[in-house]
Amino acid sequence: MTNPYQQQHGSSNFDSPASAGLPPPTARRPSYASVVSGNNPVLSRPLRSGFSHLLNPSPDSEQQRQQPHAGNLYATSPDSGMAHIRNGASAEDVPGGIHQGNNAAMWHPRLGSSLPHFSRAFDLYMNKDALFSPNPAGPEDVRFAPGNPMPNISSTGFLSPSYLRGTVYLQTLEEKHRAKILAEREGHTSNGQPGPSSSVLSQMGISGNVRLPLPANKVSGSAHRGVAYDIVETPLSAEASDAIDSLPSRWNKEDKEGALEVLGDGYEVRHTGRSLDSHEASAIRADHYMSPSCGVYYFEITVLNKKKDKSPIVIGFASKGASLSRPPGWEPESWGYHGDDGHCFAAHTVGKPYERQFGAGDVVGCLVNFRLGHALFTRNGQELPIAFRDIHFKDGKDGKGKLYPIIGLKRKDDHILANFGQMPFQFDIDGYMKRQQEVISENIRITDTSGLAPGLSETDLIQQLVLQFLQHDGYVETARAFAEELDGEKSALRLNSQEPVKGINIRDDEDANNRQRIRRAILEGDIDRAMKYTDAYYPTVLREHEQVYFRLRCRKFIEMIRREAELTMLLEERRVRRPRQQGDGYDDEVMLDDDDDDDDQDMVADDAPGGGGVDAAGLSKLSQEALAYGMELRAEFKADSRRETSKRLDEIFSLIAYPNPLRVKEVAHLLDGSGRVAVAEELNSAILTSLGKSSRAALENVYAQTCVLLDDLRAGGGDGAFVAVKSVIDDIPPSRLR
Amino acid sequence: MSNWNAALDLGGLDIDSAFRESIFAHFRERFTRMVRNSSASTASPLQHAFDKRVADVKAPKSDINALILDYLTMEGYPKAAAKFCKEANLRPQQGDSSIQTRQNIQHAIHSGNIETAISALNELDPELLDTNPELHFSLLRLQLVELIRQCNSGDITPALDFATKKLAPRAATNREFLDDLEQTMALLIFPHDSLQPELAALLSSDLRRSTATKVNEAVLLRQNQRREAAIRQLVRMRAWAESTARMHKKDLPESIELGLNADNLEYESGHEAMITT
Repeated sequence: MTNPYQQQHGSSNFDSPASAGLPPPTARRPSYASVVSGNNPVLSRPLRSGFSHLLNPSPDSEQQRQQPHAGNLYATSPDSGMAHIRNGASAEDVPGGIHQGNNAAMWHPRLGSSLPHFSRAFDLYMNKDALFSPNPAGPEDVRFAPGNPMPNISSTGFLSPSYLRGTVYLQTLEEKHRAKILAEREGHTSNGQPGPSSSVLSQMGISGNVRLPLPANKVSGSAHRGVAYDIVETPLSAEASDAIDSLPSRWNKEDKEGALEVLGDGYEVRHTGRSLDSHEASAIRADHYMSPSCGVYYFEITVLNKKKDKSPIVIGFASKGASLSRPPGWEPESWGYHGDDGHCFAAHTVGKPYERQFGAGDVVGCLVNFRLGHALFTRNGQELPIAFRDIHFKDGKDGKGKLYPIIGLKRKDDHILANFGQMPFQFDIDGYMKRQQEVISENIRITDTSGLAPGLSETDLIQQLVLQFLQHDGYVETARAFAEELDGEKSALRLNSQEPVKGINIRDDEDANNRQRIRRAILEGDIDRAMKYTDAYYPTVLREHEQVYFRLRCRKFIEMIRREAELTMLLEERRVRRPRQQGDGYDDEVMLDDDDDDDDQDMVADDAPGGGGVDAAGLSKLSQEALAYGMELRAEFKADSRRETSKRLDEIFSLIAYPNPLRVKEVAHLLDGSGRVAVAEELNSAILTSLGKSSRAALENVYAQTCVLLDDLRAGGGDGAFVAVKSVIDDIPPSRLR
Repeated sequence: MSNWNAALDLGGLDIDSAFRESIFAHFRERFTRMVRNSSASTASPLQHAFDKRVADVKAPKSDINALILDYLTMEGYPKAAAKFCKEANLRPQQGDSSIQTRQNIQHAIHSGNIETAISALNELDPELLDTNPELHFSLLRLQLVELIRQCNSGDITPALDFATKKLAPRAATNREFLDDLEQTMALLIFPHDSLQPELAALLSSDLRRSTATKVNEAVLLRQNQRREAAIRQLVRMRAWAESTARMHKKDLPESIELGLNADNLEYESGHEAMITT
């Protein structure tokens, strides 16, 4: 039997990190319907585990299904879970999809009916990565595929112009967008009626309308016995997308002169031909203003006129105060490049000759550089000279000084199409932006750091920062090794061998050792040991930091599920894989590595956690222990009304719903080893706080201070718009944290 | 303060009464202490809005750990890098041997064994010095400095020979090389205890260090297209951002402390004993 997991992951859409940003629409994970109907060769094979029997009532348990809360959890399986595991396995042996379909239908509908129906926002939620990768290169990049007219708009409607990717401004917008989508989905869910809940989930205290991260879009008709839902696709609410500094994304139908009409999804504008006197024009502004925090803003228009003559078309930018019945550039607070005479106008009816005229078929762009306070235009991909200098941009919170993209049309059938970044631009704005960023990077590169810590060279300062961090965070052995290597360096640099080396004094700090022991326990997944140590060394910490205590308790549950899932994996596949060696940090081999030699088998038996051994009984024991612990956890925190608490509990309990959560992309991240690191760090910070030490090392201060300073420099379109701390981190080749 | 909040949050929990009582005891204790200390704390200046914002910014441990490992790897501290991977549960960025090789080369330069360094470099990457004449010249010049240092007030023939054979032919092709060579040769003429500052700088260990850094960067650049550790960029970015922000008259505290020595000062003793009631 081949490994179904591998089969699935063999497709580049899943395992290629570069494509993770935006999977092609057809490559999303198979729908639930296909699972249930047995169409999908990969997922339709039921992956049985110790928990599945709990969710999988035998065919004659219809009565119980209708009273999900009633009865003993184990009522249908008096002889422990194994019988049901075997049942599941036998279904697998039957050729053809029908049996499998039925089998799946038995346990899926109940889950399915208690789940929300996801809208098109679904893939955003599932996708933990950026909506768009910062580097849109690579053959697997589907966004520039023919037939996608707006490759820079995500499936949830997020506009991501290529030149702004990687900027803090766009990241902030993206976070807001993501939060909004999530909030909408949750609102959506809570309006839905709760479906009948599964007995196990309700035992665990999960309410009927809990949102499990399952893509339960549709359950095929025959299998669907639950409550029917109307699937409502809610469009993104206009009010929410009106956030204060969203990017201009369309022409604003509410902000135009009457003779104009907006076509084509809000990108096209046409003059309807209502007659006008010769001094007037008809203008329209975009929906949002150009935020100076962009650093650089750019948009393009294509003149779609059929007649070839040079028409009085104007492209530029203006405040809300500028009249829409006069050509942009003539009015106060408006600037424009006029196509009929090729002149530029800056808030005056007298312009200056700028460049050639433009008209039908031309692509004209408008570029505002907030840092340098100037604006220029492009024509058919060529950069034209600077048109306006010394523009004073105000990032006015009061609405004053906000400048909007604007166009002015004059004759009947004047017709333009705007590109606000939804498509690739004619002009190489990415290159322009890059050059701006390089100017700043160069300024940074030549900066002298001696002002940060008087008397220390850059190299000395960095050595101290690193050493202090290692000691502060309790990386005792690393700190010692580093100090030794620094000593070696210092003594090599001595010109006179008699000269004494000023040794680095590593405090043999009992406290640091304790913290290291606790950290190690957590990183190895042994939460009990970590809590024991913590109670022994720092008896008050867990009481004072109740949130940390909660996180530890949750992590213990996750580790139990993890062990159970791993054991399942071993049992399921006769081919033996390397077992998880706790703490070695290379856990993904368990799932990815199919070529291990078989002599690992002994290790499996010896190392099997939980003391149950690698057999069904051991698995069942693990399952029951995890379940019991889960209920204990639920009971302990049931009075905690805080939303995060119950959300977190629901989230981790949802793991039980899966036969093997390690194989389910949507929840596998909950089991990820990086979660251990996060818990370990939280506990370490709590201990430091309780010791009266700063919870942050100097290097962390440097990081945070730089973020804030850059924010300040970003306001109003300053230098800070062109750099980000994150980009420094992103330069580091991945070391794949586990 | 965070302790205080955490303690407050316990109110919603279903916990047994003994535990609850101990929490409350702790609560009262802290509260009394706060009141007692309030007079003392007013003496310290109010926290600047900037510091508050800094405290609210997340400095993710994963980022910091990545910076540290990157630094230890790039700058050639193989033992520390290996330990850190182990202690922080990280995957190595480069193999141990690669880091070790670079450390060996740097170590040779730091100790003044330039010949060793050059042969190790040639073994690692035979094209490196050929394609990088400036780097090669820097190394040879450092070697000359070391020879001059050794022959201080003694026989200067080895240094002269070396300069004639190895450096002069290269200096003929490049004006800057020639200047550097002439300057270095001046060390032979003047007594070393009364040198002008720019000549004395040649004899200080800084030249070894900077040459070693240049060599390491050249090797790194050919290996993975990155010249230096990210932490250097971060530190410079921090310095640049502060000076630029001050230039633009942003509202900042008089000085922004890095907190390199903060831990020792803030240690509160007897804290734990306090809440054992």
